[in-house]
Amino acid sequence: MMFLARISAGLLLWAFGFSLLYALHGFGCEGGWHEIRIAGGMLFRWVMVSVWVLLCIAGLAVIWWIRSVPAGFERRLGFASALVGCAATVVTGAPVTITSACV
Amino acid sequence: MNALNRHRALTTIWGSPQGWRGTATSVNHSDIGRRFIVAAFAFFAIGGVLAMLMRAQLATPGSAFVGPEIYNQLFTMHGSIMMFLFAIPMFEGLALYLLPKMLGSRDMAFPRLSAYGWWCYLFGGTILIVSLALGVAPDSGWFMYTPLSSKAYTPGINADVWLLGITFVEISAVAAAIEITVSILKVRAPGMRLDRMPLLAWYLLVTALMMIAAFPPLILASMLLEVERAFGWPFFDPDRGGSPLLWQHLFWLFGHPEVYIIFLPAAGVVSTVLPVMARTRILGYGWIVAALLALAFLSFGLWVHHMFTTGIPHMALGFFSAASALVAVPTALQIFAWLGTLWNGRPELKLPMLYLLGFFLIFVLGGLTGVMLAMVPFDWQAHDTYFVVAHLHYVLIGGFVFPMLAGAYYWLPHFTGRARVPKLGEAAFWLIFVGFNVTFFLMHLTGLLGMPRRIYTYPEEMGWTWLNLLSSVGSFAMAFGFALFAIDVALQIFMSRRSRRNPWGGSTLEWAMPIPASAYNFASQPHIEDRDPLATDPELGLRLARGEGYLAEARHGRRETMAVDITTGAVDHVVVLPGNTRLPIITAAVTGSFFLCLLFGFYWLALVPVAGVIALGWRWAWTLGWQEDLGRVSIRPGETALTHRETAGAPGWWGSVFLLVSDATLLGSLLFGYAFLWVVASNWPPPELIGGGIFIGLVAALSALAGTALTRRATSASKAGSTASASRAASAAMGAQAVVIAALMSVGITELPVPGSHAYAAICWTLLLYAAVHALIALLCAAFIRARVVSGHVSGTRTLEASVAQLFGDYAGAATLIVLLCVLAPAVLS
Ligand code: HEM
Ligand SMILES: [Cu+2]
Repeated sequence: MMFLARISAGLLLWAFGFSLLYALHGFGCEGGWHEIRIAGGMLFRWVMVSVWVLLCIAGLAVIWWIRSVPAGFERRLGFASALVGCAATVVTGAPVTITSACV
Repeated sequence: MNALNRHRALTTIWGSPQGWRGTATSVNHSDIGRRFIVAAFAFFAIGGVLAMLMRAQLATPGSAFVGPEIYNQLFTMHGSIMMFLFAIPMFEGLALYLLPKMLGSRDMAFPRLSAYGWWCYLFGGTILIVSLALGVAPDSGWFMYTPLSSKAYTPGINADVWLLGITFVEISAVAAAIEITVSILKVRAPGMRLDRMPLLAWYLLVTALMMIAAFPPLILASMLLEVERAFGWPFFDPDRGGSPLLWQHLFWLFGHPEVYIIFLPAAGVVSTVLPVMARTRILGYGWIVAALLALAFLSFGLWVHHMFTTGIPHMALGFFSAASALVAVPTALQIFAWLGTLWNGRPELKLPMLYLLGFFLIFVLGGLTGVMLAMVPFDWQAHDTYFVVAHLHYVLIGGFVFPMLAGAYYWLPHFTGRARVPKLGEAAFWLIFVGFNVTFFLMHLTGLLGMPRRIYTYPEEMGWTWLNLLSSVGSFAMAFGFALFAIDVALQIFMSRRSRRNPWGGSTLEWAMPIPASAYNFASQPHIEDRDPLATDPELGLRLARGEGYLAEARHGRRETMAVDITTGAVDHVVVLPGNTRLPIITAAVTGSFFLCLLFGFYWLALVPVAGVIALGWRWAWTLGWQEDLGRVSIRPGETALTHRETAGAPGWWGSVFLLVSDATLLGSLLFGYAFLWVVASNWPPPELIGGGIFIGLVAALSALAGTALTRRATSASKAGSTASASRAASAAMGAQAVVIAALMSVGITELPVPGSHAYAAICWTLLLYAAVHALIALLCAAFIRARVVSGHVSGTRTLEASVAQLFGDYAGAATLIVLLCVLAPAVLS
């Protein structure tokens, strides 16, 4: 189990983050967060962007953490999937910054 | 013992009886794998005949050959057969047959499960084919969109056949997935570290893991739709708070990964055959594995691209189209690894290579039309036209059928022990290749001229006549090609000359044995030191036959094979596998009668087979195990190991873990449905919410916790060797689970609106039933442990069963708590 977790940690984080963003998007639009204005922007945008940024940071943290795995195939694989997971979080989450909200 | 005597002794242990008895009882992976392959090919032929009928109908405008009712059944059954009864089972068969041989072991981890999966597949497929013969086959398209497939628009039995028949077949897919996963992780030859596994094993591992996560959404969706059709619970009915889009989400949550589930095993075949044909080694092993992992995950983030036109908000579309674009990267990496391998090597144009070249050409074209369809404005034009039919066949036939044909020619000598007849195979290739391109290339044009898919006829004035006629001619040429392939195979089986061992000079372990393979694969299991064991030691097969490996001794009539540590491949323990038994076929027949009861609407009668499955499941587990310790057994001169029941982390434990993972994705999909309806469906919030029930809910939650704790207590007591307290704790756990079931049901009965009134009530009821079923399973597990502690099968050293029971107990507790939280939330918050 630990092995599977290590070699897919970064990708698991992406899967979690992706689902989280999609779920927040649904709840946020339903709850009317895009109609609440806060600190010069809409609440919806603030929430989405900050969650996305946190997820990206978590992705970096996974990359950092993988370095402590003993060297070998497992670490190389874990490292690759941590990189991919982090990049995927950046790319698939990027729409939170510019696309219009809830239309 | 000399090689011949060892062969005889091992064959007695591993072989199957002759005749019908052998057919009904064999659990040997080679038998089951061969059957899967043959049956899948038969279904391919049936699906192909349906395609020919469609092409005959469409060859001329205004044709009166078949009418719309029949035509709808034709394309629905063609699509469903090809996806569910051909592609997936074909790969399962290949995996079952090859995996143990490539991993240097003697069988899969759960032989009886493979046999059960096989019979479920056969019976489920038969139900579908019989419905076709009776003219009541499914007719709502292979993705069965609601509301077309709901009661109002498909009042007959047609849709039920699909929902129940396919679900029945899916059981076998999930069984195979768990089987493949655990076999690859645990049941390998010693020394085979993960990075020494043949690449095909990686492909199959990733595919199987994807299946474990991808099939539950489809199984759930089918169950919900069937319940809606049978009892009127309105999951998909917008008037009562349901949503047809929920079906689409659940279907494509399965459907997109399904595309990769079909493609990856074929890609694995390419990665295995190509280097041998090019007389070199595969380039970028580690890169390919990393790309596979990335593909596996990313492919779960794409499903909404099948729903781009359903009015989903822009930001969500953005997530999914970004993910769709990303997934091209690992695919491209994979293709470059193949090209690099070809470049590095000295390719020979043997027949499998010919098919691989066909694969490259066709698959790349299919990829290009895929990119075209991914452009939204283009998709608006081409959506639901023959352009899409052309695209999907370029991908499916190019990406699955061609590699599988390459694999067929590559491994046939292994199955038959014979060489092929010259020339016939080449003729078949050219007929298939040219026929394919004539048929489907022209469909791009028909599609661009505006011909919609799924129409049974068209008028002359549309100007599609010539293209359609040529497509039909091409499809018949292709059909002749496949027939020739079948003849070629038959000739090879029955009349050809014998082949030498390892005819292609492959370096993987399946060639380290005489062909055709014996029932036990290896007379003794190798110790693996690198990725190409046969390249480093061409004499390996002979040495193993002489008994110079692990488990060379045939003893006590036990089927023994080695299990290893997942990562390092170090010796872990010896697995003692069950022998031939009728249990799988009987259990599958009883499972099948459950589905038949539902199909014909005998809902109360369906409880009989449910009881039957429980009883058989009990027996299934009961017939294994021992009442005394086997202790350490010798595995090689001077080396010993424990057997699987006396160690932690036996295959059975891992199998339960993956089963529960699959189960958890089912629960996750259900919760997704709950949240989705709440947020997206119209007519929400529901007119009537849960009334209260916090107190009974608390009772259920506390008993669930008690049930879990008591099962744990029973486990630890049995491990400590105190039989009396273990059996007392197990009895108490049973009581606690019974209370859970009663409390859950009374929450539903007293507090929830009736399930037919609104999708809210329907889905809350479904959640409660889910938890109750799991409490029942935990109850049965506790009862089983109690009985086994008393009978002396479970002890301080023989801990496997207790730890499995604990897993199910823990899961039931967690599931009940989650369900209660979600169902009671409105009552708590209001
Ligand atoms: C043997 C050669 C084959 C021919 C001539 C053929 C022909 C066709 C035709 C004409 C249709 C469109 C029917 C319509 O929309 O009216 C179709 C649909 C389809 N085919 Fe094939 N096919 C072949 C093989 C395959 C294979 C190997 C697969 C999958 C592995 C496959 C999967 C499908 C699917 C999923 C559909 C969509 C069904 C639907 O619309 O519900 N086909 N095929
Ligand atoms: Cu897709």
